Amino acid sequence: MVLNEDVLDEVVIEAQRSDENVQRAQMGVIDIPVTKISELPVILGETDILKVVQLLPGVQSGNEGTTGFFVRGGNADQNLVQLDEATVYNPNHLFGLFSTFNSRALNNVTLIKGGFPAQYGGRLSSILDVTMKEGNNKEVRGSGGIGLITSQLSLEGPLKKEKASFIVSGRRTYIDLLARPFTAKGNRSNYNFYDVNAKLNWQVGAKDRLFLSYFTGRDNAEYKETVGIFYKILFGNSTATLRWNHLFGQKLFLNTSVIYNQYDQNIETVQNNSFTQVFSGINDISAKTEFQYLPNLNHSIRFGAHYTNHEFLSKGKTEAQSSGNQSLNIGSIPSKYFDELAFYVNDEINISESVSTSLGVRAPAFISNKVEYFRIEPRATLKVSVAPTSSIKGSYTLMNQFLHLVPSSTASVPTNVWVPSSLRTKPQLSEQFALGYFKNFDQNKYETSIEFYYKTMDNQVLFPAGNQLVESFDVDTALVYGKGWSKGFEFFLRKNTGRLTGWVSYTLSKTDQQFADLNFGRKFPFQYDRRHSVSLVGTYELNKRWTLSSVFVYSSGNAFTLPVGRINVANGGSLFEGNYFIYEGKNNARLPSYHRLDFSATYKKRRTIFGKEYDSEWVFSFYNLYSRSNPYFVYFYVDHNENKPKAKQVSLLPIIPSVSYNFKF
Amino acid sequence: MKYLAYTLLLLSAISCQKDIEIKPNSTYEEQLFIEGILYPGKVPRIYLSRALPFFQQEVSPQEVFARGALVTLTNRGVASTLQADSVFDPFRCRWIPFYQGGAVAQRGETYDLAISYNGKSYAASTTINQAKVDISSVEYTDEFFDVYGGHDGVIIQLQDKAGEENYYRFQMNRMIDNDRLHAHTLGDVRSDCTNGAMYPITDLGRTVFSDINIDGQILTMPIEVSFEYKEGDSTWIFMQSLDVKAAQFYKSVDSQLESIFNPFVEPVFIDSQIDGAVGIFGSAVLSDSVLFIYPQDNP
Repeated sequence: MVLNEDVLDEVVIEAQRSDENVQRAQMGVIDIPVTKISELPVILGETDILKVVQLLPGVQSGNEGTTGFFVRGGNADQNLVQLDEATVYNPNHLFGLFSTFNSRALNNVTLIKGGFPAQYGGRLSSILDVTMKEGNNKEVRGSGGIGLITSQLSLEGPLKKEKASFIVSGRRTYIDLLARPFTAKGNRSNYNFYDVNAKLNWQVGAKDRLFLSYFTGRDNAEYKETVGIFYKILFGNSTATLRWNHLFGQKLFLNTSVIYNQYDQNIETVQNNSFTQVFSGINDISAKTEFQYLPNLNHSIRFGAHYTNHEFLSKGKTEAQSSGNQSLNIGSIPSKYFDELAFYVNDEINISESVSTSLGVRAPAFISNKVEYFRIEPRATLKVSVAPTSSIKGSYTLMNQFLHLVPSSTASVPTNVWVPSSLRTKPQLSEQFALGYFKNFDQNKYETSIEFYYKTMDNQVLFPAGNQLVESFDVDTALVYGKGWSKGFEFFLRKNTGRLTGWVSYTLSKTDQQFADLNFGRKFPFQYDRRHSVSLVGTYELNKRWTLSSVFVYSSGNAFTLPVGRINVANGGSLFEGNYFIYEGKNNARLPSYHRLDFSATYKKRRTIFGKEYDSEWVFSFYNLYSRSNPYFVYFYVDHNENKPKAKQVSLLPIIPSVSYNFKF
Repeated sequence: MKYLAYTLLLLSAISCQKDIEIKPNSTYEEQLFIEGILYPGKVPRIYLSRALPFFQQEVSPQEVFARGALVTLTNRGVASTLQADSVFDPFRCRWIPFYQGGAVAQRGETYDLAISYNGKSYAASTTINQAKVDISSVEYTDEFFDVYGGHDGVIIQLQDKAGEENYYRFQMNRMIDNDRLHAHTLGDVRSDCTNGAMYPITDLGRTVFSDINIDGQILTMPIEVSFEYKEGDSTWIFMQSLDVKAAQFYKSVDSQLESIFNPFVEPVFIDSQIDGAVGIFGSAVLSDSVLFIYPQDNP
């Protein structure tokens, strides 16, 4: 075998046959071509891969407009979001309305939601594997876009022709600049986010290749009234990955990476002359090495090790406001260190023409100075071809997760706190069984699948009822623990080629949880348990200039806790006099269903400027075309005119038209 | 909670709201709400009312009063039947009905409550054995902070009795008139039945303080007060020592109030202390009163 660029490019993720979804043993995997993502309708002109992930079978979205996603009944923290192998702990901008991924800088997006091979671990429900572009190694290219709230620019090109290349992409919002004329004098409100992606790709020799990728993204929000009130929220992620690919021969590859990732959030408030600050951060240093051995064309063995050193920092304080600088000295916050180490081996073999299997085992360990957890995770999938274009697959996976994200609010405010496993907080554990039928039609123009799954989740964490984060910042002592169960049926039909492309996905699922200290110890529906979810995604090339796209989504309403009864405590005007609620159970009711139609039209034209040609496109987009008032949350109040308790629904995003201009040279 | 205000601010700027009809999955079966706190030296008073389906039109205490209930209180084998009675609430200008006994409750005694109403029976018991606490000091504060935000009020100090699990609740007795409005959610209630006359109110604190982890130490408790005041207004302040059941009940009531105010907090279920009903049968021992005179008008 001769090492060339294509081989190394495709070793990790892209080596796909067009019928791979049918022929390969692995199941629960969906690849999302980034080129297709850019053609779909978007909010405010921002293309967003996480919004597209929400349209896949088995994936539920969170609240209206947000990028949070929930896979097969798992919480948002059970998704391992990786950018070039580095963990991105908070992949959101603007309180979750946009993801932190600039799609212009991305190469490929793969979602794995079941049948996990042993090389993946650390999360219970999914792996979202995002890879950056590697840069054009032949000539300098550029692309950019101007939207309603952001602009972005990417440059790529050779550092040494056909040997080394680079790509740099940047994006920044200008909400702050647009809003400035409309804010009151003395009001110092400010919001901006930015992100930068960069990657170097160097073919060192015939058998070696180096990649260095970097990403940083931050959100900065400030709100200050003329007197007395001030809020500041800063959060962001940074990652860096140095990867070395080495080819020992025709049968043995080595992929070694050293990874750094950092996440922090800092919230400061001044209100009623009281200063409050909450800071938390995670710094990870990882090293992973993986060998891939190919004894023959029908046999592939991967084995390797993955080590991560986690550094957790958290501190909060509340004190009377003073004139000096009251912010915490971040550098003085004591760190807590934890080590995570995993060894794995995965053997994928075609036993016969119709039968193939993938068997693996992963042995993760979590070690701190107070606690040690050692686990064994068997993984198995089996594929049996029932015809040249169809197969049946089954899988079993056991996964552990040593980190927990405790949701402290229903909004995507960055107040959710990552908590490591401890003596009290045991590692999350899941077992998942899946069975599927896969079939392609018309020479792989159409691919279809149906999958059934059943998943159990142990050592789930939540805050107890009524808990507010600021009250008890020692999160570990304020948690309650329980179990979860999820089962579901998923249907996926995708048309890959032709003027009309797109997909239809449908998910029927049920997810319950049970916590000894919640809901009287009885089972209750998971907040994002949605019985039915349907997505229709279509892109139609009308002609060489115009492309039309549309997305329709429907899903049953989220679960929420509805009071069934009411008592009146009459106490002569004391502070607790009033109406109190009687609940029969947690998450006992459903919000109205969610549905939305988006539409976009893209006009492409090759233009000339200063004698040079470039590609341009105008994208006209409508989010929520018929302006459906979808529920964000519901609250209750007493209408004193009608003398009646009522439910009020808060909706976030009505119809949002947008236009953006993109160019490529 | 405070930084969530930023999000709420953002939401209020870009969101829209509308009333919606929500149908519960099941029909609510009416429950009995019982609130009975025995005070040594006072005759027993048990408030009984019907809990309503959530979306039913609001009704007055008289309309939801559980009429026709048989309420008995037994102490040392002697049962007495409580009689329906009521007291006028001059702040809301309405009558508050309850069941009242004839013999005063005594510290150190155990009382068994039995209620028969609409073919169902309810039972509960309480022993009044909490320690009477002494208030060490009362100070005025024009600002302090708790989970509800910033308030004015009073700061109480007391010496906790060591070796016991103690729970405390604030009580202020004072006279008010139409000029002293409710300082909070009932601020728009205007007493129009008193002709400007002063009338007595009992202001009970919503926060239950415990001595967990601070057993036997001096407790300092900032207290939010319910009504406006003027410089020179006289009040009598007590601290109630609650039994554990009463403490749990009122603590859950307080937590639920926080969760109602903040849609980002998980709802809190009221911790009923009586099987088959919603409510509490417990006791409170009052401290000796301390005269407190407001040094200024409310800010």
